[in-house]
Parts: sequence; structure tokens; C-alpha cells
Amino acid sequence: MIIVEIIEGPLWYLAATVFVVGVLWRIIGILRLGRRTDLSVPRAAAIPGAVKALFRHLLPHHSFYNKTKLHLFAGYLFHIGLFVVLFFAAPHIAFLEERVLGFGWEAMPRWAFIVSAQAAFAGLILLWFRRIADPTMRQISDADDHVGSWLTFIAMLTGCLALQESNVSLRALHMLSVEIWLIYFPFSRLMHAFTFVLSRGYTGIIYGRRGVTP
Amino acid sequence: MTRTFVWILLLAGFLAGPLSVIAPLPPLASPVIAAEGAPPGESLGNESDADLWRRVRRGESFMLSDPRLGAAVLVQSEGEEWRSIRNGPVSRYGGILVLVGLGAVILFALLRGKVKIEGGRTGRRIPRFTMLERSIHWFVAAVFILLAISGLIILFGRYILLPVIGPSAFGAVASAAMQGHNLFGPLFIVGLLVMLFAYALDNIFQAADAKWIIKGGNLFGGHAPSWKYNFGEKTYFWLVVMTGLVLSVTGILMEFPGLVDTMWYLQVSTIVHATAALLVIPVAMGHIYLGSIGVEGALEGMTEGTVDENWAREHHDLWAEKVMREMAEDEPKGAAKPAPGAAE
Repeated sequence: MIIVEIIEGPLWYLAATVFVVGVLWRIIGILRLGRRTDLSVPRAAAIPGAVKALFRHLLPHHSFYNKTKLHLFAGYLFHIGLFVVLFFAAPHIAFLEERVLGFGWEAMPRWAFIVSAQAAFAGLILLWFRRIADPTMRQISDADDHVGSWLTFIAMLTGCLALQESNVSLRALHMLSVEIWLIYFPFSRLMHAFTFVLSRGYTGIIYGRRGVTP
Repeated sequence: MTRTFVWILLLAGFLAGPLSVIAPLPPLASPVIAAEGAPPGESLGNESDADLWRRVRRGESFMLSDPRLGAAVLVQSEGEEWRSIRNGPVSRYGGILVLVGLGAVILFALLRGKVKIEGGRTGRRIPRFTMLERSIHWFVAAVFILLAISGLIILFGRYILLPVIGPSAFGAVASAAMQGHNLFGPLFIVGLLVMLFAYALDNIFQAADAKWIIKGGNLFGGHAPSWKYNFGEKTYFWLVVMTGLVLSVTGILMEFPGLVDTMWYLQVSTIVHATAALLVIPVAMGHIYLGSIGVEGALEGMTEGTVDENWAREHHDLWAEKVMREMAEDEPKGAAKPAPGAAE
């Protein structure tokens, strides 16, 4: 039992601290890099370009669609599924209310939670397979990508195995895997959950000034 | 006096109401005899306790005095029969089948060894599976493995794991296996249906398959003609599809028991579900072995999407000739063919 107490107590606080501090440190670090001075006369405003790029890139350019449709489908399946499970599943809301935020919100029905989890699993399996099977993806992937994918899969899997909510050790196993995931997060490409806004925004600003948004 | 009698009647009625709900047994004395004024049976009534409980044990329905409860079955007798079949022949012979499958794979590996590319590698690659085909295959494979492991724990865990890890840990493992099995089951159904449409056409049996059977395939030496899939692969595909559909239908019934109105369907579903799984799992072990380390060059088709030209000629000559002819026809025209294994 002492292991469970450590996992649900000090280790949780350690993991949460590393996650929050690490993510802030990375984001502030990126923002502090600033952007190169552009001496050209702007043809249009930069900020609208950033906003435009942020939303336009939610879908691929027409010419890339056929090449990326599997990636697109699996990507949305996984990310939306994970987001919904993370923030709208009753056990997660209860945990966030009790341990983090002090307030909760309406949980989705259990069947919707299960379907979202299934969508997330399907998407993640397809995405990881594409990473190892597509020659280009294989070339540009390194250990960090695989570790990030597998840690996410394990955190999701242990959560699914604890669905009955009747066993303390299964819940502790899920929490442990989530804690490892949280500690790994700021030092890995899992950071794209936050940095995609910065990278798309940066590109959007550059091209926005030129009056085009790719 | 009359008021006292009325009070006694009311009190009796008040008590009889709830008692009648929890007294589901039929009246011991026949209402007909009782109505005729005959004494209610012999010293033990018309029916002895042993006879009564035997009827209960056989699963007979009894009328409850509260009509809202309808007919009630005190002991679900078929449940005991179901349990004895599931924990008896299904578990015993199914377990033996899985072990025989595993043993056959090990024996084949020891006796035959790795099936090499006899002509050696040419270095020239020909496309075998598109990205979509490979994605579907690996998706179904991943989910199948998760379901097989969790299913085997559910069926055999009490015999294998329980004595080793103890009841407390086994409770956690069994709960985890059941939750995982229920969650991944629907994903298997979706994957199976997509796989059926993606692969069915090339898995239709052809005349060349008869020659392959006569020659015993390539597994024991010699050469047998084959299109994209040989007879063994086609048989495995249809076995997966057939057992997969059975597993899907029975799995849906078990996951949504409200779909049927009697327990019988659920009991039959669990037996059929376990039997179908125990038929396909040993064959899947053979497929995994041959597709990975058993046959040189086979795995590349499913990972990279391409295979060596000699591998294709030795294992799927009819298909290889067709593909290479098409590639040769395209080349002079300068048709831009996608790089082998490229994403589609």
C-alpha cells in the first residue's frame, strides 16, 4: 500500500510540478528567442496572418490531401478522442476537481467516454504504424517520437484497464504511467501540444506580412 | 368484536402484501383440492421438500403472488450447465488446442528452420502492399493480439495465474483483462470489416490453389504456383473473417446483454465466442511465425510495402510475373509510378 500512497501523493506532486515548470520553461524559452527584424514594408498585418495560418493548417492543402488522408484521419481521431477522454470523462473530472482545480464540470455519458477512448486508441495505433511504415516518416523519426508514442499508449491502456474503478492497484498503475508521461512531456516532442500554436503562428506572421498565407 | 375482526383482517392483509412478494414458491397444496375442502396433502403436503427443491434446481418457473414480478426462476439451471461446458470441455480442449498450435509452430521451426530465399536477394524490389493495406493489417493485428491475450486471461487465468499470483492480484489482472477486452472488441469489428473489403478480392480461391495443395506449398521444399496469396494464406484469411464475424456477433451480445431477452443467448454466445477464439488463435500463431521470422523476406512486404523480386518469384510466381509485366509496360511510357512503399 505504501507504493500506492507514494504514487498518489508525492510522486503525483513531483510529476505535476515538473510538467508545469517544464512546459512554462520551454514556452518562455521559445518566446524569448523573439523574431528576426523584418525591414521590408509590410503588405498586410502580421497578426491576422498568424491567426489565419493557425486555422488554415487544420486541413492540408488540396494537393497534399491524397498523400495525407490517412494521417489526417488518424491524427484527428487520436487527438480529439484523447482530448475528450482527458477533459470530459467522469473519473478525470472528479480527479481534477479534487486534486487540481477545486471545481468540476459536466461529465459526458459513459458510452461516449468509451467511444472516445476507442477512437483515440484507433488513431494512435494507425499513427504509430505510419511512423514506422512510411519511408519518409521512418527517416525523420527518432527514439523520442517512439518513446512519446509508447508512453502515451501505455498511459491510455492502463487507464482503460482501470475502467471498472474497483481496484486500487490498477488506478495506481494508471497514475504511475501518467506521472512518467507528465515528467517526460516537457523534454520531448510531446510539447507539440503547446508549441504547434507558436510554430504555426510564427510562420503565419512572416507570410502574413508578405500578404500571403500558405 | 366486528371492529376487532376488521382490524385483524387489515393487519393480516398488511403483512401478507410484502410477504407474498418474497414468497415465490408455488402453493404446496393444490388449489383444487383445497377448494374442495380436502386436507392440504399428507403430513408433508402434496409435495415433499426434496421434490420441491429439485424442481427449483431444474430451473422451473414459479408464479409469484405479486403479478408485477411475473414468472420467476429461482435457480437458473442452464447457468450451471453453461458453467460446466465453459469450464469443462471448452477450457480443456481449447487449452490443448492452443498448446498444440504453439507446439506445432516450435516443431516446424526446429525441423524446417527458416525458409530462405533460395535464389538469394536480387536487390530489386517490387511493390506488394499499399500503405492502406498495411495499416489495416497492423491495426487488426495489434487489436487481435490485445484481445487474444486478455481473452486467454479471462478463460484460463483462474487455472494458470490464480495459483501463481494469488487471488488479490488475480482480481486486478482479471478486471483489467475484462475491461481491455470490452474496450478493444468494437475496434476489432471495425478493423475486420475494413480488412474484409480491402483484402477479399485477392483471397478468392483460384485454380492455381489446387496445384499448390497438391505440391504441399513451399513449406516442405519444392515450388508451388501462387497468385498474390497462396492457398494457406487464403484459408487463413477466410478463417479470420469467419471466426471474426462469429466473435463480433457474440461479442456484441455479451457487451450489450439488453439486446436479447433470455439468458440462453448470452450463455451460448460465451461458449461460441470462446470456441471461435480458440480455433483461430493457434492458427494465428502459425501465421505470425511464418510472416515474421519463419520465411525470409516475408515481413518486409508488410513493413516496407515491397518485397525482393526473387522472394516474389519463389512464393507468389504468378502474381510476381503479373506485377513485373505491368511495371515493365509502364516504364517505357515514363509513367511516374510511386516509389515502392511510398505513402498513398
